[in-house]
Amino acid sequence: MLVDFELIERARSGDDSAFNQVVQAYRKRILGTISRLISRPEDVEDVGQEVFLRLYFSLDQLRTAEVFEPWLYRLTVNAAYDYLRRQKRRPESRMADLTEQQVLFADAAAGSKVREEEERRTKIRELTQSLLGKVSEEDRVLLLMKEVEGRTLKELEQIYKVNENALKVRLFRARQRVLKALEQEEKTGGERGWGEKAAGGQQQS
Amino acid sequence: MDRMDEKLDALWVEYRDACPAPDPSPEFMPRLWQQIDKRRIGNARVFRRLAQICVMATAALTLLIGAVVIPRIQAEAFFSKSYADELAAEHVNADFTDFLTAGDLR
Repeated sequence: MLVDFELIERARSGDDSAFNQVVQAYRKRILGTISRLISRPEDVEDVGQEVFLRLYFSLDQLRTAEVFEPWLYRLTVNAAYDYLRRQKRRPESRMADLTEQQVLFADAAAGSKVREEEERRTKIRELTQSLLGKVSEEDRVLLLMKEVEGRTLKELEQIYKVNENALKVRLFRARQRVLKALEQEEKTGGERGWGEKAAGGQQQS
Repeated sequence: MDRMDEKLDALWVEYRDACPAPDPSPEFMPRLWQQIDKRRIGNARVFRRLAQICVMATAALTLLIGAVVIPRIQAEAFFSKSYADELAAEHVNADFTDFLTAGDLR
């Protein structure tokens, strides 16, 4: 917990300054999670605003301060899921924004090393996104929460309010689909260079 | 398949590094409070409108009851007469000889 229970209780009872402190404590962490769930830097803050807005108007429904974090992650997951669904309905704007994003990165990266590193990151983001495109938005968010955010099954159980076994099954199926897509990707030779480097790096560590 | 599992696990790690947590912009908190206030005002407006509709509906119903329903009930006056009066009025021209037997007439 980044804040103490008393502060959450105060925010819950309508103390705006306490709510302000809670947001300030959690916003960076939540923005990081959103950034990995939606992987579009320009929209991260908007989704973050939506999360804390929902938090403000639903805080009185929180049973106890102890379940605050799963509650906040639940709101984050729902906001990211809503965003991804909206994006799915308008793919043309996504393409346009990506081009704009690439232009921005190209402008920002002055040195070639920085540019190279940014290109590599962009490549990884694109590869991951294309692999995650093989599963539904719900499974994509669930998979990222487990594999990238490092949430335990117990935590996910609290966030999703679904029993552990059902989560295990969903995670297993989603991972299998992503694995299959990665295998396909490797066969076509798209990201061979990255894959060998990454697998080698992990074996060394 | 193990090699692919390893690759995928490595990709998750790389992906996490490729998507660092962005620093919130300086407008983050002011924008958030603006949105909260906007929604608060919106909610208050909806409740105020609902309250106005309820008051207007209650006033209209009261007027309707006062002007139409109550006078009609009073005009009908179901129980203005007693039961005996009502019976008498009903049988004012009745021939009660039918009720009597032959023996009684003798």
